[in-house]
Amino acid sequence: MQCSVFTMSQLVSSQSMSSWLDVKIDFDQSHLFFPHIIIGLLIMMAVLIMALEGRRFMSRLKLGDVSFSLFQPGADKMRFFGTLILIVVYFWSMDAVGQLFPNMGMGFLLTSIPFILMMSLLYVHKFNRRKLLSIVLNAVIAPLVVWYVLGQWFAITLP
Amino acid sequence: MEFFSLLSPEFFLLAGLGCLVGIIFGAIPGMTATMAVAVCLPLTYTLDLQEGLALLLGLYVGGISGGMVPAVLLNIPGTPSSITTTFDGHPMAQKGEAERALKVCIVASLFGGLGSAVVLFLFAPVLADFAIKFSYIEKFLIIFFALTVIASLSKNILAGIFSGLLGVLISLIGAYDTIRGGNGEYRLMADFMVPYLETGFSLLPVLIGLFGLAAIFEEAEKGLKSDTENGRVKLKRGEHFSFSVFKGQLTNLLRSTGIGTFVGMLPGIGGSAASVLAYSQQKNLSKNASQMGKGAPEGLVASESANNALTGGALIPLLSLGIPGDSTTAVLIGAFTLQGLQVGPLFIGEHLDTWYAMMTALVFANLVMFAVMFFAIRHIAKVVMVPKHILYPIIIMMCVVGAYAINYGIMFDVWTLLIFGLLGWLASKIGIEVAPLVIGFILGPSAEIYFVKSLESYGTYSIFFTKSPIAIFLWVLIIASIIFSIMMHRKKRHQSELEAN
Repeated sequence: MQCSVFTMSQLVSSQSMSSWLDVKIDFDQSHLFFPHIIIGLLIMMAVLIMALEGRRFMSRLKLGDVSFSLFQPGADKMRFFGTLILIVVYFWSMDAVGQLFPNMGMGFLLTSIPFILMMSLLYVHKFNRRKLLSIVLNAVIAPLVVWYVLGQWFAITLP
Repeated sequence: MEFFSLLSPEFFLLAGLGCLVGIIFGAIPGMTATMAVAVCLPLTYTLDLQEGLALLLGLYVGGISGGMVPAVLLNIPGTPSSITTTFDGHPMAQKGEAERALKVCIVASLFGGLGSAVVLFLFAPVLADFAIKFSYIEKFLIIFFALTVIASLSKNILAGIFSGLLGVLISLIGAYDTIRGGNGEYRLMADFMVPYLETGFSLLPVLIGLFGLAAIFEEAEKGLKSDTENGRVKLKRGEHFSFSVFKGQLTNLLRSTGIGTFVGMLPGIGGSAASVLAYSQQKNLSKNASQMGKGAPEGLVASESANNALTGGALIPLLSLGIPGDSTTAVLIGAFTLQGLQVGPLFIGEHLDTWYAMMTALVFANLVMFAVMFFAIRHIAKVVMVPKHILYPIIIMMCVVGAYAINYGIMFDVWTLLIFGLLGWLASKIGIEVAPLVIGFILGPSAEIYFVKSLESYGTYSIFFTKSPIAIFLWVLIIASIIFSIMMHRKKRHQSELEAN
């Protein structure tokens, strides 16, 4: 009798255990099932990080060891934002010029030359005539070589 | 055998060329092997699979090896994995032994590279055979294990897990793929984004952005100061290199190669972990530990054999499980996808010829690396002088070509490059770690399918614990990796507190 009671209680507990772990996924909504779990875990991790590291971070912030500034001290903001702006203009103009001459890779070639020239001029230190010559030659030759070898020879799609 | 017909002269030429270009990338501080592979990927678009892989493996081996040059000459690691090479390499260079130091590194690199290739050749097929038996449940647990391992070896375990999960979330943007059994509905984006993000962010622009463009933003922020102006040591005729320097170093070589291969196998680690571990082991066990850090060749042997052993090690999980062992092998996944191949447990069995060709390319690239660097080190040492204002604009241009051409001309892929370039730059500032993020991004869609489909068929979460002995074994590994990481974290914190006091 005792034995059967034991088996019964074991059965009940395993049933409640399995029902607790049971899950039914509605196919129509199944695309949200995994993302919701991941978002839940991300929130959990964020809370955990704040709880465990928050105090230490605040004390370091007061000491001045860390700051909210995205840039390191003495960052070269001119070169950083210059890079960003030139890249945005490069990408945008490449598409625009490419649409004027479809399927020829001209968008790439015609915009890469001024882009490389401007980037090199932005990046160069201690400017002199020899450096200027190498920069101009590089800005003309490098895109031409890439356009010819990859675009024409290997037939790779270019903007 | 059909395999021999694949080994054309072009095949060897590409592997050798890749190695040479890789060495140049590795030798320029701020440019890594991963960047080399990412930037040169468009060159493989029109090549055969085998030839493309030969080029990329050459780049990989060369890129890892090239890092030793600035490590010795400038005291700056050319790639993260050559950080420990600076400890003894630069002091040797200052004593006028730069050439000797570099040649010790080159021989150790060859040993590490070939040693790990042997382990790869023997071990990957066995692991793949074992993994063929895996159902979706074990496959999901393997991915889960990979993510816990990456997180546990991150600088901060919580940030590591967060980054991995963020990578998974980003990978889920777009439609729930019907080809893989999804319902085709869009998620995680607004309606106006559907034309751009129907299939989510493309893998390669994401990788090229994170590893190529992000590095440029970081350098631009630092102002692209020349590394070569201060403290450059020239190659002088000092003490001649002789192989006798390796006398008594066999144990060191074998141990460091073993450590490098093992760390390479752990998903997503790579980088500096292998050489740091091997170096500290050698320091713990060496009879002349006090000399290490002051110019001891044994330190170079440990560091360089370990970081080259990464290459073979990192390819093991890639080719047997489909999980990249480091960031460079993550980019290699892109090369396979490009050719319409899926890497995983079936890969070696179904593409035996490609597998042999890859092994041939890997061994050949190591030999080319040795030949080029050993006999032409004086010329290669000049590469560190290439001005960045010339190089970096070209790299951005190559990144654009790679991103645009991957899906045959989608401009949004180019913008993806910029989005992830900025994210990569921002990540290091706000404590997000790129390696777990990338692995999460690559494995996310598979993890979703394995997880959701398992639950749809079995209807209970308990199946992940009870499916098979392998599942239980994987749980043991997962729990062990978490406990290990917590212990390591505590030890580190304890040490830093002691130092602070």
